[in-house]
Amino acid sequence: MSMTIIDVQNLVKTFRSGAIETRVLKGIDLAVPKGEWLSIMGRSGAGKSTLMYQMSLLDDPTSGKILIEGREVHGMSEREKMNFRLFKFGYVFQDYALLPELTALENVVVPLLMENLAHAQAQARAGDALTKVGLGERFHNLPSQLSGGEQQRVSIARAIAESPDILFADEPTANLDRESSLVVMDIFRDLHREGQTIIMVTHEEEYGALADRRVRLDDGRIISDERLKNAHGNAASI
Amino acid sequence: MPSLLDVRVGWYLARRQLKRASLWTTGLIVFVMTLTFLDLVVVTGLLVGIVAGITNLYRVQVTGDVLVSTPDTKNYIDHSQEIISFIKTLPQVQDLSARYVTGGTIEANYLTAVDPNEKPDETGASIVGVDPAAENTFSGLASDIGEGSYLAPGDYDEVLIGSELIDRYSFGKLPGLTPLTNVYPGTKILLTVNGQTREVTVKGIIVTTANSPLSEEVFMPAAELSELMGRTDYNVNEVAIRLKPGEDAAAFRDLLVRSGVSQYATVQTFEEGIPNGVAEITSTFAEIGNAISSVGLVVASITIFIVIFVNAVTRRKFIGILKGIGISAQAIEISYMFQSFFYAAIGSGIGLLIIYGFLVPYFSAHPIVLPISNAIIVAPVGETFLRIALLVVATVIAGFIPARMIVRKNTLDSILGRE
Repeated sequence: MSMTIIDVQNLVKTFRSGAIETRVLKGIDLAVPKGEWLSIMGRSGAGKSTLMYQMSLLDDPTSGKILIEGREVHGMSEREKMNFRLFKFGYVFQDYALLPELTALENVVVPLLMENLAHAQAQARAGDALTKVGLGERFHNLPSQLSGGEQQRVSIARAIAESPDILFADEPTANLDRESSLVVMDIFRDLHREGQTIIMVTHEEEYGALADRRVRLDDGRIISDERLKNAHGNAASI
Repeated sequence: MPSLLDVRVGWYLARRQLKRASLWTTGLIVFVMTLTFLDLVVVTGLLVGIVAGITNLYRVQVTGDVLVSTPDTKNYIDHSQEIISFIKTLPQVQDLSARYVTGGTIEANYLTAVDPNEKPDETGASIVGVDPAAENTFSGLASDIGEGSYLAPGDYDEVLIGSELIDRYSFGKLPGLTPLTNVYPGTKILLTVNGQTREVTVKGIIVTTANSPLSEEVFMPAAELSELMGRTDYNVNEVAIRLKPGEDAAAFRDLLVRSGVSQYATVQTFEEGIPNGVAEITSTFAEIGNAISSVGLVVASITIFIVIFVNAVTRRKFIGILKGIGISAQAIEISYMFQSFFYAAIGSGIGLLIIYGFLVPYFSAHPIVLPISNAIIVAPVGETFLRIALLVVATVIAGFIPARMIVRKNTLDSILGRE
């Protein structure tokens, strides 16, 4: 049995706006084994992105526990969280989140420099990552000179260049046409084959079905948790 | 505390943001920085330069680089001719002017006065006896003659009169100074020195700025004044010495003191020889300049604050993304500090070029003619670099504060654009 890389226990997230309190996550329990491709699905407002933000340390839960490789993250300093995000996580955002004044290569280089790699080494590794996502010819293009699909592939290259333990993807195909979406999913599939843990939020059934496991949320609760038939194994319902 | 790694990543981000920033925006910010820098240096430099203009007038027209003058205990310099001969032998000396100086009165319109009880058209003046040729070589006095002509060898009973002593030129009536009326070249006036009165003719009028020491003086041939003063021993009242270019005035003063000249005379450099008040005026003007300049510094800081704040606010999402992917807050803040530093450094660099490449040499050659002096721009290199440091520090702080305000916001709120 695979080691659990991230373990969420009774996770609650509440938003306050003046006197109004909205409970978005209502006691989520979820364990993700290392190497698993998990898709989190649900209708709009179900809490799927909020769950991913808590798991990826971009936001703090109201209550509950998150353990990453057995270590509870509650009480970590900002610097520790930053290091977790830098060294252990990779992020793919819905709107690509590239820095507009940096070329494709430079966008991928920045976090590698923060890891204290020498510039030449960072560039080489960034180049490898871009080549891996099929952008070997677009190193020196600014984001504005790339299509949406290409920008998303730069975003993926940035996320995987650091060889993260977990790749978080928030609606990675939401802004893309079908052709670009399939390219992105192919990349995810290849990464997963290499053993990459992927946690992907999506509302698109077709892409959610490509994962090993599909969790459905509704009104802040998990309403289904299915093991799917995929490249690695058989369909199963948990 | 930021680490070297933060600095490295901050520098990487700043370089690329600057490289790909709008040329117009960058140009505008650099322009503001240049203006601020000029304000910091030129305002003070000009105010100090007004006083420097006065000081310089004293050096050129009166004291030279070193002044040998009458000691407090005597009315003249004993052994003047020996001292002058000695000074002329020294290789540092370019030229000198020996002068008789005394107080006296001048009176005009005495022939047309009808009422004996009427107050005479009379005023006090400093009467200076010079060798006209030597004085002109020394101070260029002939070039200051605005009306009439300069004294020629052999002139007798002819004088040059300073413009402040004449009503139509006088900048303003000072206590004890009632300028003469109807005085032109050729006008006869009465000159009284040492109780002796002589009728002399105005040969020329010295027209210069109000603060020029020449403007309140009457010049006449040395031999004639010494006769009026009853000075038959050829002992003069002052010897103004101009040194060759590159010679040090203080070192030459010390040489004269060591040579025994100070036994008979007061020996001073031109800075020591100018009236006491001038130094105080210089520091007062410098302080006023600093006060005005500091307003410019505040304006520059606010400008950079606004520019960086707007930049950081509009880039809040990207700042959030940077934090989200693991870039430290310090590295992001440092990237903005580098950008501010760049603006201040480039602005100061352009300002330096303008100041030392154009303004200082231009106004040295063409002083601004003001009623009180011919002003130049005084910008000592040390003080200028101090002002650059001030501008850079103020700008970097002004860049850091808004960057920090935005960087400290919640990472996810920044990414999602939530308030």
